[in-house]
Formats: sequence, structure tokens, C-alpha cells
Amino acid sequence: MKQETVAKAAVKSRAAPTVARLPALRRFTRENAPELLALVAGAALWEVLGRSLGLQWLPPFSKVMEALAQFVGSGVILANLGSSLQGLIVGFSLALILGLLLGSLMGRYRYVEKALDVYVHALFVCPSIVFAPIFFAIFGLSDASRIAIIVVYSMFVIVINTATAIRTVDPSLVEMARAFGCREAQIFTRILLPASLPLVFAGIRLGMGRAVKGMINGEMLIAFVGLGALAQRYGAQFDAAKVFAIAMVVLIIGLVSNAFVQMIDNRLTRWAD
Amino acid sequence: MKKRIVLDWALRLAVFIAAVGLWELFVSTSQNFLLPRFTDVASGLFRLLFEARFWEALYISNQALILGFAISVIIGIPLGLLAGRFRWMDRVLNPYVGALLTMPVAPLIPIVIIALGLGIAARVFIVVLFAFVFITVNTRAGVRGVEASLIEMAKSFGASEGQIWRRIVIPGAMPAIFAGMRIGLGRAVTGMVMVELILVASGLGRLLLEFSGRMQSDLVFATVLAVIIEALALLAGMQALEKSITRWAPDISIG
Amino acid sequence: MIRVRGLSKEFGTHDNGGGVLALSDIDFEVHDNEFITIIGPSGCGKTTLLRIIAGLIPYDDGEVAIDGRAVAGPGPERAVVFQNFALMPWADVLANVTFGLEVRGTPPDECRDKARRLIKLVGLEGFEKRLPKELSGGMQQRVGLARALAVNPQILLMDEPFGALDEQTRRLLQEQLLRLWEGQRKTVVFVTHSMDEAVMLGDRVMLMTPRPGKVKEMIDVPLQRPRSPQVEKSGAFVEIKEYLWENLRAMQVGES
Repeated sequence: MKQETVAKAAVKSRAAPTVARLPALRRFTRENAPELLALVAGAALWEVLGRSLGLQWLPPFSKVMEALAQFVGSGVILANLGSSLQGLIVGFSLALILGLLLGSLMGRYRYVEKALDVYVHALFVCPSIVFAPIFFAIFGLSDASRIAIIVVYSMFVIVINTATAIRTVDPSLVEMARAFGCREAQIFTRILLPASLPLVFAGIRLGMGRAVKGMINGEMLIAFVGLGALAQRYGAQFDAAKVFAIAMVVLIIGLVSNAFVQMIDNRLTRWAD
Repeated sequence: MKKRIVLDWALRLAVFIAAVGLWELFVSTSQNFLLPRFTDVASGLFRLLFEARFWEALYISNQALILGFAISVIIGIPLGLLAGRFRWMDRVLNPYVGALLTMPVAPLIPIVIIALGLGIAARVFIVVLFAFVFITVNTRAGVRGVEASLIEMAKSFGASEGQIWRRIVIPGAMPAIFAGMRIGLGRAVTGMVMVELILVASGLGRLLLEFSGRMQSDLVFATVLAVIIEALALLAGMQALEKSITRWAPDISIG
Repeated sequence: MIRVRGLSKEFGTHDNGGGVLALSDIDFEVHDNEFITIIGPSGCGKTTLLRIIAGLIPYDDGEVAIDGRAVAGPGPERAVVFQNFALMPWADVLANVTFGLEVRGTPPDECRDKARRLIKLVGLEGFEKRLPKELSGGMQQRVGLARALAVNPQILLMDEPFGALDEQTRRLLQEQLLRLWEGQRKTVVFVTHSMDEAVMLGDRVMLMTPRPGKVKEMIDVPLQRPRSPQVEKSGAFVEIKEYLWENLRAMQVGES
């Protein structure tokens, strides 16, 4: 066995210098060339079509970038971005707490699972936006409505993933822990919790994506504040460049938040394959 | 075994009754006169079922749904098959697919309206935007997921490219394709509802606005309930179809 | 000493009324510092028996006592080695080995010292920081063994510990296990599917029959200790192994 590892180490060290010599950026570009080319080509096509066709709804790519730059420059985007993100953070945190709690209970106790699974599944698959009119009726034109929509959008995927995560922990690990004398609480903290982390994080990541959608969808309907309201306003003004720019901002929010959760996920679940 | 199933359903019923009870309690103690009781909603729904305008609205809304979903399938599956089969195509499409998956489509709705107006074309287009990416992604995963050893086996018996597609890849990818269609259907319903609520020009969205404007919250809730029931029924139907066609496969869906 | 008298275990009585009698009227004794192996066809309940002795599942009838005290759950005098290793994938080798000690409240320094000693003993020195997924099957099971030995049990219960490994690794680990055992002769109850293994390792072999599980016979293995791989060629070894196979094959007749 020792010979193997020595040989492997030798192979690794021979390959390493070549790759390490290229700075990280060049390596990234090289590895993702087709994707980057596709994006550049798309932007170019957008630009060409935008200029030549002169359609009201298809401004050239450059105009969209202009609008984006303008947003960042003026304070417009900041205020609305701020209120959007506030709602997102509050809503997602709530969804996280409720989702993890409910998911843990459902994963741990069979009776809880059997009692609620039908409802959780139904709420998960049905289009969450339908609850907007309901929340509007209950909370009116307020932050509570927006936050409630975000919660409904993101909570159930977290519940389902957490429940599955806890339920599918390798039973032989639980048995092993019991064989070494663990009590229930110890089994929960030492085995169930760490073992369920990968799937729970998958749920959190998905939930984050859904929360962003809930944020923007909710704002477009109950449109008095936030990026959604802006989108509606610019839409009414037939300013397509600005609307596209807002869509890009939302896309960036989605990507950044996803990357953030992914980073935490990677740190905590390096042991999983 | 039977006892356990009965017990499970008894539990679910108990939860339902408890929830309704809490609802009634909440409404009766609340100041908000816009909050309908469960019984009001139920009777409202019942009344709606006998009103022509409800069925008209349902028909108009579902037009966009059915057309949109059909187009999504027609576009989505071939795209997914190509992406699954040809690595370069997959890599080229990847950033756009990824963007459409994570990006909320809603902000784009005003743009679509500028382009296509307020008619059915806009509604269909938006439904397609909501749905087709999920069909593509799942189809691609299905194709990629077909075991290489099966394809190798087919080649060893002298199968042509066409035969490999027809007898190995497509049947192998079927479960994922159907899963994609099921998820796409859910997304299509979301798109349909979304566009109607934002446009409120026709169909169920318009109904909702009417009821909302006239403070008939029991009917608002009832309409929402109707949409939920329709969505669940469609999805259950799709799932039944899926299960019957792909009885051999495990569950591996995206979205 | 482990004493089992009239042990019975039935599975699945709740739902449909009928149950499966996994073990029926099991009677045997394991003396201190003895290494016994249990062998039998699939369905004879040997793993169930081991888990009952480990205190992981309850039994319906009879008596299971260790040094006179009835078994009512897991206890510090027993440690288990599992067939699929049961290592915590998120913890490194050191953390896995210290697990049993930590659970019992041993101070961390002591845990680590003991663990390091045992990791060295099973030949994994230098691998303390590795994760299970970075180790081969044989190495993972050695971690499992180290973990069990770390809590200094009187009795080692091993449930087909080498069953998931390839033949070469299995043989190496058998040799290593025997060497370790010669160093400190704990009481070992070792469940196996392999006749070679049963005869090679055990002082006595317990032969079980299936459906319901019963003890057919306790066979003495009078081979000299310490056992080397050469012992497999000896007449006595071959004789006992053939005897086992005759019996086991007869039990499998229903299968073909």
C-alpha cells in the first residue's frame, strides 16, 4: 500500500507545476471556453439584433449595460435593492427556521411525517404564487405580504429535503452509536445532525433560489416597493432596457446567493462524495 | 398493513380538522373583515362551480396553459436530447439554461407584453418561458444518465446510431423525460397564474381582481382554491402517467 | 463468560399476526478468552444472535447473561465490529477511533492517546487525519477494529467483519486479527460465512441451522496456536472444513 501512495504522489507532483504556472484566471478561461464563448456570442447577437431590428422590446445589449451602469451610479437601484434584500433575508430566515424545524420533526418522528406529508407535498408542488392574493387579503399592501410569499416559496423544499435527509441517515451508523452506548440526544447530535448535512444543504440551496423567485414574483404583484415594483414601473413606461437591466440584477442576486450557500456547503460537507 | 394505512389517513384527517378549526378561530377573533371563514370559502367554491363566468375564465386561462405546455415540450425535449448527446452543444447551452433555471421569469413579463401585446400570444410565450427549461434540463440528465455500459453493449452487438437512440437512449431516458414534463407542467401552471395576476387582462386573473375589488374575499379564496385543485389534479394525472410508463426506474428529478 | 440458555427471537408479530421465528431455543456458552466462530447458511439467525448479545435488539424468551448479569442493552464490557464498517464519513480516522471513548466521557487527551496507540497497533500510523472515503475497505475495517479495541472491552463481537472485503485483504486482516488477539486474548464471538475463516480463527466453531435458527453443533478446533497460514494445509484443518461443508451443503439442499 505504501508503494501505491508514493507513486501517486509522484504523478501528482509532476502534473502540478504545469497547471500551477497558469494563473487562476487563465485556467478558468481555458476550462470554460465553450460556455464563455457562448455567452459572448449571445451578447454579440443581442447587440446586432438590437441595433438592426430597432424593436421597442429589444434594445441593444449595450443599452441594457448602460441602464445597468446608470442604476448603479444613481441611487435608484440601491434603495429598491435594499428593501428587496431586506424582505429576502427576513423571509428566507423565517423559511429556514420553520423548514428545518418541521423537516426535522417529520424526519425523526414517523407520526408527524405521516400526518403532514400529503399537505407538505401539495404545498410544494402547487404554484406558490397563488397564495399571493390570499396573503394580500390577510396582510394587505405591506411587508408582511411580501415576506409571507417568500416563506411559502422557499419553505417546503427545505422541509422535504431535511425530512429525507434525517430519514435516510445510514441506520448502521445509528446502530453503531447505540452499540457504543450513545443515548438518544447523543445520537441526534453526533450522528443524525452531521450525517444529514449534505441533503439539508441541498434543500437550503434550492430554497435560496426559490426565495429569490418569491421575492421578485411577490414584488411584481404586490408592487409598491422593491425591484419588482421598479420592473413594473419601467414596463409601464415601455423602457425595455431598464427592465432587462433589472432582470440582470435579479439574476446576479440569485447567482451570488447561490454561490454563498454553496461555499458554506462545501466547507461543512467536504467529507461527502 | 391495512391498519397502518387507515391510521395514517386518520392522522391526516385530524390535521385537516385541526387546521380548519384554527382557521375558524383565527377569523372569528380577527378584526380583519376581509378574512373569510372556511365554510364561506367552501360554499363560495361551490357557488362558483355553477357560474358560467368561472368556467369561461378557466377556459381562457387554460388555453394559454395547454398551448404553452405543448410548445414547451416540443422545444424542450429535442433541446435536451441534443444537449445530452453532444457535449459541445451542452456546454454552449449551459450558461443560458443555468440562467433561465435560477432567474425568475417574472421581471421579463413587461418586456414580453411590450413585444407581443396583451393577447394570448404573450400569455403562451410566458408559459413557455417558465416551463421549457425544466423539461430540457431533465431530458438532458436522462440522456446523460443512460449507462455507458448499455450503449457499449449495444455497439458490441452491432447496433447503428439510430438503433442505439431508439432502443437504448430514449427508453433509458424516459423516466427523466417524464419527470421533466411533470415539473414543467407545474411551472407552466405557475406561468399561467403569474401572467394573469400581473396582466389581469383575462381569465382567472381578471376574476380574482374583480372579486378583490368588490371585497368578496370568500370568492377570492375560492378561486385560489380552484387553481390549487386544478394544479394538483394535473400534476397527479401526469405522475400517474409517468409511473405507468416507467415502472422500472428510481426517482431522480431536477427541480 | 457469555451464557445463553433457551434463547428465542421472533420477528414481525405486530401487523399481520404471523411472525418469523429467527432463533429457537439457543443454548451455548462462551468461556473467557475464548475465540468462537459462528457459521451457518443465510437465514440461520447468526447476525441476529450477535446483535442480541450486543444488546442492540431485545429477545423474547430465554436467558442471555454475561458474567451472571442479564443482557439488557449495550454495555462497556462489549464492543462491536460491523460488516460495513459503520465509520462516520465526516470524521477523520482519529475522531472515528475516539468515538466510543468520547461517548463514555473520557477526557479528550486520554482519548487521543489511546486512539493513537491503537491506530499504530492496527498499522495505520500516519493516517490519523484521513477521511474514510480516502481509505481502502481493509483500512476502514482496521479503523473499526481500533475503535472497538479503544474502549478496552472484555468481549469483542464481530459481525462478518471481513465479508465486504476481497479475498486478499481478508486474509491479511485475518492474520492481523490473530496477531492482535495473541497479544491480548479477549473473548471473541465472530460471525462468518466462510468455512476457512471459521476454522482458521476459532477455538470452537458453532454450526447453526436455519429456519428457525438453532445450534446444530459446537465443533472443537484443536489446532495449535498461534495459527499461521500454513495451518490450512494440515489434515485436521481440512477434515474440519470438509465436515462443515458436508453439513452446510445438506442444509442448502432446499436452495437448488
